[in-house]
Amino acid sequence: MGLLAKLLTFPVSGPVAGIRWSLEMVERTAREELTDDTAIKQELMELQLALESGDIDEAAYLARETELMLKLRDVRYWREQFGMGIAGGPVRVQRDEDDR
Amino acid sequence: MTQRQELAMDEVTLAPRTTAGPPDGGKYVYCIVRTDAPCEFGAIGMGGEGRRVYTVHHKDLAAVVSDTPIVIYDPTRENVLAHEFVNETVMREHTVIPMSFGTVFRSEDDVTELLRSTYQAFSDVLDKMRDKIEFGLKVLWDREQVVATLERTNEEIGRLKEEIENNAQSSTYFARVQLGRLVESALEEAGNAFVVDVHESLRPVAVASRSSKPIGDRMIMNAAFLVERSASELFDEKVRELSHRHEGLLTFKYTGPWPPYNFVNIKLKLERAD
Repeated sequence: MGLLAKLLTFPVSGPVAGIRWSLEMVERTAREELTDDTAIKQELMELQLALESGDIDEAAYLARETELMLKLRDVRYWREQFGMGIAGGPVRVQRDEDDR
Repeated sequence: MTQRQELAMDEVTLAPRTTAGPPDGGKYVYCIVRTDAPCEFGAIGMGGEGRRVYTVHHKDLAAVVSDTPIVIYDPTRENVLAHEFVNETVMREHTVIPMSFGTVFRSEDDVTELLRSTYQAFSDVLDKMRDKIEFGLKVLWDREQVVATLERTNEEIGRLKEEIENNAQSSTYFARVQLGRLVESALEEAGNAFVVDVHESLRPVAVASRSSKPIGDRMIMNAAFLVERSASELFDEKVRELSHRHEGLLTFKYTGPWPPYNFVNIKLKLERAD
């Protein structure tokens, strides 16, 4: 159905489609934010560097590390919810039918 | 939602999360080596209780493992160091293919299946990595010191700086902006020149190198070098020479020997085992 026909026959489909589209965008953005651990890992590396350089002490390191680990667990939780791959945890070799 | 609640309960202690399964029935895999004789590496395994580290075999390949409950290990510094310590111990006598941190199999059979199904790739990489080790080199600079050096050695920057200092009028605003630009581009040039110098000096004593993204804003280089075991003293010497040459301007964070983490890339076909 062409855009013109759509406009003529379903005057409300435009706005509804628009709302649905933006909701999908919000959902996708939220999902990406919930399941992306790049920034957490980056901070973890910077934190380790700071500890090794003597900029922070062991106690400060551990306090922040614990917070970051909990954030990583949250990411892992959401990745599981969305059926995405996670690092760590029990694995096994994929058993392909044609492998046998 | 039970899983979510479980997560919240852990938050206080950061205790490892256990999923259902026989206690200690799992195998944590550290690395793959070539040997057909059973090996023992001592009570140095993951989990903080000094679990025994030993080998699981298939033909002439072996996986170095320790028993573990079926848990997801957090990549804390302590855990990562424990994982690395085992690999360091094993690589004193073996060429190793390191596994990524946190890899847990449900049973010994699953480990054997890994060796069986990936036999050819493991064999090829073990041949390639034979008697080679990895060194990590992070180079940080002291920005202020480099700028101070530039002010002394770069004529244009020195002249402009003098001009600004001798003339405190508002007309120096543009001179300041110009100076800032000059310093920025000279800094970038200097940074690149340092990195080139390090790479050129180490290339003759390394087999290969791989660069990663620098961490933080003081790091100008974050690289790994693959080195023949027999050339490791030579490599050491070169790094010391470099650090001497750039003393006061650059700090070298030199680590290793590591197993070839950055030079092995075998995509394992693994799936989650729940």
